[in-house]
Amino acid sequence: MPAVLPAVAEQLFRDIRKTYQETAQIPDDLLIALRFVFGACAVQALDLVDQRSVTCLSSPSGRKAFQVIGASGSLYTCFTSCHYCPCPAFAYTVLRRNDGLLCKHILAVCLCEAMGVTRMQSASDEQMTALLSGTLL
Amino acid sequence: MTDVLTHMFTNFMSRADSSKDLKVIPPAPAQCGVLVVGEQNLGRSVLLLAAVTAACRLSVKVVFFAQTQIQSLPVSLQKCVPSLSPESLKELLQQVAGLHESTNTFPVPPSLIIVDRLEDFLRGPADESHGVEQSRAAHLSALLCDTATFLTGLLEQQTSSPAPCRVIASYKPKEQSGEFSVSDQVLDTLDRYFQVRCTLDQDRSYKAAAAGLQEVWHIYFSGTGITLDPCAEDTEVKPGLAQEWQLSIYPDGLVWFGAEELPSPDPR
Repeated sequence: MPAVLPAVAEQLFRDIRKTYQETAQIPDDLLIALRFVFGACAVQALDLVDQRSVTCLSSPSGRKAFQVIGASGSLYTCFTSCHYCPCPAFAYTVLRRNDGLLCKHILAVCLCEAMGVTRMQSASDEQMTALLSGTLL
Repeated sequence: MTDVLTHMFTNFMSRADSSKDLKVIPPAPAQCGVLVVGEQNLGRSVLLLAAVTAACRLSVKVVFFAQTQIQSLPVSLQKCVPSLSPESLKELLQQVAGLHESTNTFPVPPSLIIVDRLEDFLRGPADESHGVEQSRAAHLSALLCDTATFLTGLLEQQTSSPAPCRVIASYKPKEQSGEFSVSDQVLDTLDRYFQVRCTLDQDRSYKAAAAGLQEVWHIYFSGTGITLDPCAEDTEVKPGLAQEWQLSIYPDGLVWFGAEELPSPDPR
């Protein structure tokens, strides 16, 4: 399974973006579709969205990375261009068992971006390098 | 995404075969890179040739990461292909993650990132669980892809004829009783991120030995990145001429390199 989302998931995020811009809510049919495509982690990801757990960090070079505060309070740095999260669920469910498209943290980032509710924060270029390389958690 | 390697293979074909030039397809921006899978020494030769070809013939800015320093290149070529020698995975991650910083000091960002022998960086102690190594492979691959995506955006802004930033890395799968393991979970993880695989497959058949050849290698592309190529329908690749090459090494040191033709599909 490649590290890009299937077209049906991409279309779902486009529909959520359009509907949320127009009505400021996600209707039931799209929530059901989310649950159908992403399984149990859809509800957990929506919880993270509600708690505004997703922050987009950007540095003067223009480089961006997303940080998600997990349910346990742990901080995860996620890549969205090719899907990576350092959480145990991503390592086990996605990488090892190949049993899911994403973990709840990456899904929360995708949803926050679609809904336009991502928190923004600045970081220096050096901080960004440390963040991306996993040496700054 | 295979444009650099295709260009290189086509140019290094023996003269009789070079008339069958393949059209070089520029890679689609969303696609990440090529994973060269096979024996280490040939893998490094492929990467070095790709780096030199890209830098000298395609005027592409290259950055080359290898744990063991390259000493076989002439000094003039070493200037074209700047190499970095991170000693550990942590250092490699920091150097790749720091490529966005160099964009503040260098006028043009690199458009080809090469990493030699991923396995040297990824493998941990023998008693380590597979999951840890898989996670390391995912982090490094994702960082390479994310960095390429970022640099592609910069190249689009800065240059008049933008080309995406490509990634080429080499990996030797774990061996089981002299053969490459078919169930290498790290390779499965790398395949998630590198959507084209360039396999270096040594022909150990009786036919190769009977022909008096010292070594025969089959080199071919595979993976989802090839079928996903939006330009694929416009290519001038002739039916029956697959993207597969053969390297033959004779006992007297003579080397032959050329395209391998596969049988044409049945017109029925």
